[in-house]
Amino acid sequence: MTGLLARRILLVVPLLAVILLFTFLLVRISGSDPVGLLAGPTATTEEIALVRASLALDQPIWVQFGVYFGKVLQGDLGNSWLSNRPVLAEILDRAPATIELLFWGVLIGAGLGIPAGLRAALRPDGGFDQVTRFLSLLGFSVPTYWLGLIMLFVFFYLLGWAPPGMGRIDLFLTPPDRITGSYLIDGLLAADWEAAGSAFGQLVLPVLCVAIISAAPIIKQTRAIALEVLASDYIRYARAQGLPHRQIRAMALRNSMTPIVTFIGTEITGLVGTTSLIEYVFAWGGLGQYGLSAIIAGDFAVVQGYVLVLALFSVIVFLVVDVFVMLTEPRAGAAP
Amino acid sequence: MSATVAPPPRWALRVAGITRRSPTLAIGAAIMLVFALMAIFAPWLTPYDPIMAQPRNVLAAPSTAHPFGTDGNGMDVLSRVIAGAGWAFGIAIPAVLVGLLAGVPLGLYTGYRGGWPDEIMMRGFDALRVFPSIILALAVVAAAGPSLLNVVLVIGFLDSPVFARVVRAEVIALRGSTFVESAVAAGNPTWRILFVHILPNAIQGAMAQTAVRAAWAVRISATLAFLGVGIQPPTPEWGAMIRQGAEYLVTGQWWVGIFPGLALILMVLGLNMLGDGMQDMLDPRRKAATR
Repeated sequence: MTGLLARRILLVVPLLAVILLFTFLLVRISGSDPVGLLAGPTATTEEIALVRASLALDQPIWVQFGVYFGKVLQGDLGNSWLSNRPVLAEILDRAPATIELLFWGVLIGAGLGIPAGLRAALRPDGGFDQVTRFLSLLGFSVPTYWLGLIMLFVFFYLLGWAPPGMGRIDLFLTPPDRITGSYLIDGLLAADWEAAGSAFGQLVLPVLCVAIISAAPIIKQTRAIALEVLASDYIRYARAQGLPHRQIRAMALRNSMTPIVTFIGTEITGLVGTTSLIEYVFAWGGLGQYGLSAIIAGDFAVVQGYVLVLALFSVIVFLVVDVFVMLTEPRAGAAP
Repeated sequence: MSATVAPPPRWALRVAGITRRSPTLAIGAAIMLVFALMAIFAPWLTPYDPIMAQPRNVLAAPSTAHPFGTDGNGMDVLSRVIAGAGWAFGIAIPAVLVGLLAGVPLGLYTGYRGGWPDEIMMRGFDALRVFPSIILALAVVAAAGPSLLNVVLVIGFLDSPVFARVVRAEVIALRGSTFVESAVAAGNPTWRILFVHILPNAIQGAMAQTAVRAAWAVRISATLAFLGVGIQPPTPEWGAMIRQGAEYLVTGQWWVGIFPGLALILMVLGLNMLGDGMQDMLDPRRKAATR
């Protein structure tokens, strides 16, 4: 078991190397030369050469990759081409906002999607199944950013229930002192009810968007997994034994949980992208908005760091899910 | 009174049969047929020129003259929504073709040969999976330069792993069969075995994926335009139109952004339904597993 675990963790090393190669090449194919941006308009030829040397841009490409690799390992993601601020610090500063949105969104999405999928599987092609299948197809098809805009139109403009989509807290309130980075939790911890209330109000619509988008695939997959489990030999045996329905359902649920959790883990990658678009619409000020703005502005030092951090996040989530499966599923431990 | 009712033509019976077996497929196909007709006959269907600005008629609410209203430039939203279908097809179809052209030969070759090329390809695909596809597409298009050609190429290349994987799995299952062995024994060159003997038997799974990949291509290209990367206003492209409409939604001129969004949802929904139906039809095992 420990050996398997160690092997799984070691597999991350070559993966990281390939990821870094991708992010390195991303800036190479852009063909943009940041030297002019970084040195400023009044730079002399010597100063430009100095900046070029400091970025190792005067070296052959494989040396440049080596320099990039080394810097990333030291936690240096470079500086923004536009603001010249360190990318890693900016990302860490904004990450809690994104994690807050993603966490609540996926939690609510799974809280709606898993029971709906299970219920649909109990009576395939029944009324509930038909309705959820259509809703899930709709969730697959609605453009994320458009959903956010519609939410703002309906709940802010028409009904006036929600605050405008401008950030994480009312503009006239001071955010609570940073403890966890989540304004809601920090406000509650600091007993600043006004700030916590405002943060909650700002969270509702974007979280709802992430929840709707994440629920669609969760419903579909939960239903498929539960159907497979319900058709398995041990459930049929339990039925033949005359076990009560409730007990059979509990058994099916227990055996469905591992594949469902694994699936949600792999879905997180895509949902991070979804969350970025939601952030952009709601001016959330998190990692996603930072990254998308950089993509639009052509600030490739930031784009590179942003894409790298998202990939690392997925790597960690996949690792955690695999370890979870190894620990909960004895059969998975036996497989090579 | 005994007028003999002509038997329905054979194609009508087939359509009815497919509709009964897979209503999802039929609805999806019907939606896409409407969009295809809309794209082809757009010049005759649009009541106004989609990029004709009417400065005296800016942000007019929906009326009989302009059923979907007019946008911030005074352009007719209905005409622009109709014209947008052409842009969606114009990007999605070439993008899927690029994906097929890049992915299918790759899957054929690696599946047949195995060994280190196969290993490298699969590890590379595994590494690609950790990037959110939408962000990767946005970043690569921005890096490569947001021209229309690059949008198509990037979406196509990011699609190719899907096709390569499906074809590879089929080829691995087929490469030991008698017909392949006899083709080898007859002295056919490898390319001929791959493309003439194996391909026709291995392409079905990839074809079943095309509609779903087209849905993805429509979504990504619209997202790019929404962010202002790639296609720019006043091009009548749905994503770009939603971008224009976004600023008016919170001031009440909802029609500018809502109608192109509805068209986009409907097309993606149609393609997804078509794709779901195709996968069920072409792969009965999948149907058994998910039903």
